[in-house]
Amino acid sequence: MANSKIMIVDDDPDLRQALRLRLRANHYDTLNAADGYSAIALAYKERPDLIILDLGLPAGDGFVVLDRLQKDDKLSAIPVIVLTARDPQSSERRALQSGASAFFQKPADNAELLDVIRASLSQVTSGPLPS
Amino acid sequence: MSDQATHVLLIEDNPGDADLVRLRLVEGKSAVDVNCVNRLSDGLDSLKQRSPSVILLDLNLPDSQGAETFRKVLENAPNVPVVILSGQDDEALAMKALHQGVQDYLVKGSISSSGLDRAMRYAVERQALLRSLEMSRKQQLEFKNQFLSHVSHELRTPLTCIHQFTTILLDGLAGEIGAEQRDHLKTILKSVNQLGAMVRDLLEASRAESGKVRIEPRCVAIGELIRQAVAMMQPIAHEKEVGLEVGVDTRIPFVYGDPGRILEVLINLIENGIKFTPESGAVTVQATLVPTDPDFVYISVTDTGCGIAPEARALVFERLYQDPNAVDNNRKGLGLGLYIAKELVSLHGGRIWVASEPGSGSTFSFTLPLYSLAKLLFPVITYQERLRDDIVLVKVGMRPLCKPVRANWKETCQRCLEVLQRCVYLDKDLVLPPMTASGADETFLVVASTDLDHANIMMARIREQLEKVPDLKGTGELEVSALAVPVPDRSAGHSLEEQVQEVAGTVGEMVRTVLGGEQGSTE
Repeated sequence: MANSKIMIVDDDPDLRQALRLRLRANHYDTLNAADGYSAIALAYKERPDLIILDLGLPAGDGFVVLDRLQKDDKLSAIPVIVLTARDPQSSERRALQSGASAFFQKPADNAELLDVIRASLSQVTSGPLPS
Repeated sequence: MSDQATHVLLIEDNPGDADLVRLRLVEGKSAVDVNCVNRLSDGLDSLKQRSPSVILLDLNLPDSQGAETFRKVLENAPNVPVVILSGQDDEALAMKALHQGVQDYLVKGSISSSGLDRAMRYAVERQALLRSLEMSRKQQLEFKNQFLSHVSHELRTPLTCIHQFTTILLDGLAGEIGAEQRDHLKTILKSVNQLGAMVRDLLEASRAESGKVRIEPRCVAIGELIRQAVAMMQPIAHEKEVGLEVGVDTRIPFVYGDPGRILEVLINLIENGIKFTPESGAVTVQATLVPTDPDFVYISVTDTGCGIAPEARALVFERLYQDPNAVDNNRKGLGLGLYIAKELVSLHGGRIWVASEPGSGSTFSFTLPLYSLAKLLFPVITYQERLRDDIVLVKVGMRPLCKPVRANWKETCQRCLEVLQRCVYLDKDLVLPPMTASGADETFLVVASTDLDHANIMMARIREQLEKVPDLKGTGELEVSALAVPVPDRSAGHSLEEQVQEVAGTVGEMVRTVLGGEQGSTE
């Protein structure tokens, strides 16, 4: 089975690299985008299986990206995990309402993040799990 | 100010005094227009229409006397300077008024036009100064909050970077590492985590200070929450070789509070306890009921640490307090943990305090309000001074279809709760406050004053209405069921209160069974 493709959207190159190393070690393929505009363009072109999205981004912040993804039939099914330095009290609810499937504040616990990635991917590929 | 006319509101019931003041005002240099009323109520009405530059106030009016008069004026016009016109014999009262925010007082009979003019001008200037001080204090507070929020956000990015690369090295993703290197990396990781906690506390404390912390109370099984907190802290206790024990009185009913916030308080106190307890000591968390204070549960965290000197006990809950004598090789924190705990407990309507024996340990205690089923049930399960004939407990279980749970599942549940509240008769049914959810399943309970046949109709209505909630479709599964609540024998001669108490006890037991069974099946 081919590896799942995860798009990392973050304007900090070091954080992108760290996340890339972590995901590759867990057998995921990765794509990178450093701003909102390229994130949307890349999502169209590459159709990633999952997106990890920072909120504070140049050229269209995370909410703009969420909104654009939600409004596009071809992209709205891609699970988006928000990973941000922002305060959950001010942005978690808004992110979830805008279509994010999970919210993590940086620094996130690696094991927890990987669990949610795994679960989100299995939901998309195999449909809803029986309860 | 000087170019424009001064608008004076004169509240004075004696026509002679009023005329005299008016005369003195006109004689003065400044341009004035005077609005004179002779009752306090008229004065307050006039304040609603238009805010004057200054209020001249007689204290003894037909509809208000003495201190009451200036209190009402200050309350209704907090930003308008007030000058009191007092009689010869009530200067003491005038002084009292000054202490409470009145700007000046003039003794009737010795008012000169220049004196009046000066008193008014000074009153206006002083009031403006006070106002701008108050504004700048508020602005500073707001600025400080924004600053802290900004700083803590910006600190998180480099913090995350250190955290990420440290764990990458530790997990061997960048090649094998030796035992010594591993030790050093673990030290880095521990420090990064401490730094992360400090950044979090900084923001939380600034929020608490400006009253921006919200709590969302629910019905909470406090024993479960304590066990959860202890399980979370067990690794840290273990590492330091400090025992961590729990003693929860099993008879404790539910607590009414925000589970996330209570957990925060517990973790803060346990962390503190572990920090100040030497190796092979112990930290014990207990929850008990105190017969003399039946509306609260008492939760305590006891350590066998160095204790707190008597003079420091009042200070430990202050912001930025750090124990100067801490003989501990742990690093100090910011000194915000106990302050945050105190704020969170008082938001719940509880108290927090510390008792300590220097040298042998400290006990931090706090109270949380109990959730009184009897009080809630009384108005719905009684009718014309007697208990209703039939009472039913309806359970509405909601289970998400997908795992992981969709992000807006909690919101969907909240919407369903609102719909549910509209499905019942307010005078005889009660939707219980939501219970602590163990995981994603949500259970709402309704106590309905009806028999099982009618409960079936109600359940059909609930099902029908809830199925219309748009987000529930396709994301969740609904289960509605009902159980009859045994009603006590009315001929046994117990008072209505006792009967309600008994029903509440039974309902409480049933709720526990319903929720307990559920927890068992999901684990």
